Amino acid sequence: MQKNGLISVMFNPLLNIDQLSVDFVHYHQSTSAIKNVSLTVQKGEWVAIVGESGSGKSVTALSVLQLISGSQVHYKNGHIYLNVNNETIDLLKVSNKQLRSIRGNKIGMVFQEPMSSLNPLMTCGAQIVEALQTHVTISSKKAQQKAIELLQQVELKDPESIFRKFPHQLSGGQKQRVMLAMAMSCQPDLLICDEPTTALDGTVQKKLLDLLQQLQKSQNIGILFISHDLGVVKQYAHKIMVMYKGHMVECNTTQQIFNNPQHPYTKALLACRPSNYKHNEVLPLVQDFIEELPTGEIIEKKQINKSAITNPFYSTKENNEKQPILQLNNVCVSYVLKKNWRGQPIAAKEVVKQISMEVLQGEIFGIAGESGCGKSTLAKAIMQIVPLAKGSIYFKNAPITKHTKQAIQMVFQDPYAALNPRQTIGAAIAEPMKVYQLYHSAEERKKQVLQLMEKVKLPAQYFHKYPRELSGGQRQRVVIARALAVKPEFIIFDESVAALDVSVQAQILNLINELKHSFRFSAIFISHDLGVLQYLCDKIMIMYQGKIEAMGTPEQIFQNANSTYTQELINAIL
Amino acid sequence: MLKKILYGLVVLLGVITVVFILFQGLGDPAQLITGQNADKTTIQNIRKELSLDEPKWKQFLFYVNDVSPVSIYTANAIQQKQIKGLFVGNHLKVGVKWPYLGRSYQTKKQVTAILMQALPNTVVLTIAAMLLAAVIGIGLGILAAVYKGTWFDTSTLFTSILGISVPSFFTGIVIAYVFGFVLSKYTGLHMLGSLYEVTPFNGKTLALKNLILPALTLGIRPLAIFAQLTRSSMLNELQQDYIRTAYAKGLSRTKVLFSHALKNAFNPILTAITGWFAELLAGAFFVEFIFGWNGIGKVTVDALEQLDFPVVMGSVLLTSCFFIVVNILSDSLYAYLDPRLQH
Repeated sequence: MQKNGLISVMFNPLLNIDQLSVDFVHYHQSTSAIKNVSLTVQKGEWVAIVGESGSGKSVTALSVLQLISGSQVHYKNGHIYLNVNNETIDLLKVSNKQLRSIRGNKIGMVFQEPMSSLNPLMTCGAQIVEALQTHVTISSKKAQQKAIELLQQVELKDPESIFRKFPHQLSGGQKQRVMLAMAMSCQPDLLICDEPTTALDGTVQKKLLDLLQQLQKSQNIGILFISHDLGVVKQYAHKIMVMYKGHMVECNTTQQIFNNPQHPYTKALLACRPSNYKHNEVLPLVQDFIEELPTGEIIEKKQINKSAITNPFYSTKENNEKQPILQLNNVCVSYVLKKNWRGQPIAAKEVVKQISMEVLQGEIFGIAGESGCGKSTLAKAIMQIVPLAKGSIYFKNAPITKHTKQAIQMVFQDPYAALNPRQTIGAAIAEPMKVYQLYHSAEERKKQVLQLMEKVKLPAQYFHKYPRELSGGQRQRVVIARALAVKPEFIIFDESVAALDVSVQAQILNLINELKHSFRFSAIFISHDLGVLQYLCDKIMIMYQGKIEAMGTPEQIFQNANSTYTQELINAIL
Repeated sequence: MLKKILYGLVVLLGVITVVFILFQGLGDPAQLITGQNADKTTIQNIRKELSLDEPKWKQFLFYVNDVSPVSIYTANAIQQKQIKGLFVGNHLKVGVKWPYLGRSYQTKKQVTAILMQALPNTVVLTIAAMLLAAVIGIGLGILAAVYKGTWFDTSTLFTSILGISVPSFFTGIVIAYVFGFVLSKYTGLHMLGSLYEVTPFNGKTLALKNLILPALTLGIRPLAIFAQLTRSSMLNELQQDYIRTAYAKGLSRTKVLFSHALKNAFNPILTAITGWFAELLAGAFFVEFIFGWNGIGKVTVDALEQLDFPVVMGSVLLTSCFFIVVNILSDSLYAYLDPRLQH
């Protein structure tokens, strides 16, 4: 850090992680999780750690309070100094009791998953009161008052009723605010946020980040913020540390990182965001920028394959006079809320309201919207998983029936959950072929599967591997290959890149563009990320509370966003 | 809740039908009562007395009428069957009553009386066994989860597998023999004995020490199952994110374990506890038989041996009532313990 000229002005930073290395020990075998990571956080400073999954960013953050569970952890070398009441202590050397008195008291934490990070059986209020009473001697009544004040502070409406509610009765954003109120309950000096907004919708994410910034400024706390996405922290962080495979690759002020990145990996991360590129351009990949030497050292690739970056897959001119392949007329879908004793529905909630749209042949149609807006339900209706309440769906000018099922396939969000863990990759891809009796013999099917695997750029030796041996990106390739196995004319991608790292996301998006060209399918691409849609799609529809909010080409949507909601959605892109 | 009770009643009606078909619908009970070489007139008389000469559907209606708490009787029948309850009306009386389950073929006693005499014994035995199983089983399970992978965990797992796989009639005999016979001098316990001991001098006295061996025998299997369930459920909960949140608040390990993890881990354990509770209430046939414990189980086995069908029918009905009631109660208990299940 010193070579970047960032010598801290104050003598004692609030948090000083000094040359920290952490190993995981499993059956007497140790693997290095992070190596010689150094970082300081001052009072009132917002420091972000950015990296992809497996980069060691969470390990770094969790090490501060020694909250890593599961495998055995060995703090190999280094120190974590915390400045408490003008006294510096090494958190790795203190007793358990002293550590407990720091957790939640001097250092608060907010975790990634709002769904599972709160105890489902306790009211939100009780959980905040518990945090308070652990560190402060305070009567239950006063603690309750304080908790309600805290809930007010995190800008929750009607804090009294939130106090009495259970976590499952709140939305994701509300839960994360409760988490924040809990973390702030004892007025900590440092707040560690481990991807607090990753699981939230764009607009909710922005509001939460704004709140965090406001709290940080008003209470002058230090924030250590973990994120997998550089864009998220751009407007908020003072300082950014980029991590890659357990190493700190670059640490600098936010301005320097974005305007003048030094390390090739940082450059690659900045380059592969899809919103920077025009429709149909090939996205650059991290591998295009860096090379890993056998020694583990990372160096910049001498020549960046510029031609690949600027070469569009195919000209957009052939867009003219295309036939519509999928048409939706006034489609309504409702879920039954209540049934009478004969099992007939008496109350229903309409989740998709009067959607009419048209997807042309060879087009990728994007659907954007927040969780709960009905976009996934609409996809299910097209797949005939849920029945229509009203309206009609035409596929190639004929009403959809069960015979069209083969022609429309789906790629799901979570590549970890979408594959049967006990089925080999080859069997998973071959299964739909068997269901639709496409090829006559097993050998023929295997030949087809191998061809498909080649198309999605999976090595042939993966045929006999199991999903657990594959990375997230590789699994998503398998899922895509499986969808392609029955030669569909139409594919629905439901948040198919949301769970992936930025660099892997770029790979998959490139793959989709390429496959679209060679397999000639049309597609619906559902995402909450407008940046991705802008890059990938020919047309975008924005949904809000089950209705169409806006529809048009990406340019139309972005340049003349006439509804306030669309505007809000665009502003929330970080 | 009301819906659940309604479902319960439907299930009960089903049980009544099946019981009737099995014990009275097929075959001729009159023959069973009198034995093989009874003369025709006796059999005819018995048939008349028990209305077995009526068509089957009428018999079934009579039976349902007898069992149901709300029923219609002639004044004559009330007197004859010694039915206790509140009735109104002149010739045909309508009223509320305690279910009438008939009389034992053998002792001519009211079946309700026989069952009510045996019930307290079974209830006490069940509660004792369940307390033992729940307290020790859950305790062992928590410890095994906390010390996962240590010698304590592996030995708990091993012993619990042993406990699950050995049938209770076998452990019953072994325990009765070892503690009630071989070591009787030191333990002061006997192989046989019921909750009350009747001696010519002292009359009926409570003998709680007789409870120890049967409760132990009966508790071993549920204990082992609770231990395993608690262990796996706790291990699952301890990996959840909210546990990390609890630690991040600065809570101590005991507090995290008991007020966060255990509460969440409790639902599957509760399912097992209520299931076993109902099962043991139905009478632990082998164990009661081995230890000579005068509970529902022993009464039923004795009645079966003597083809005393009214008693068997009564105990089957009682048992199914237990299952239905315990199920309804445990369902409401779930909703109380887990707010996510309240609609």
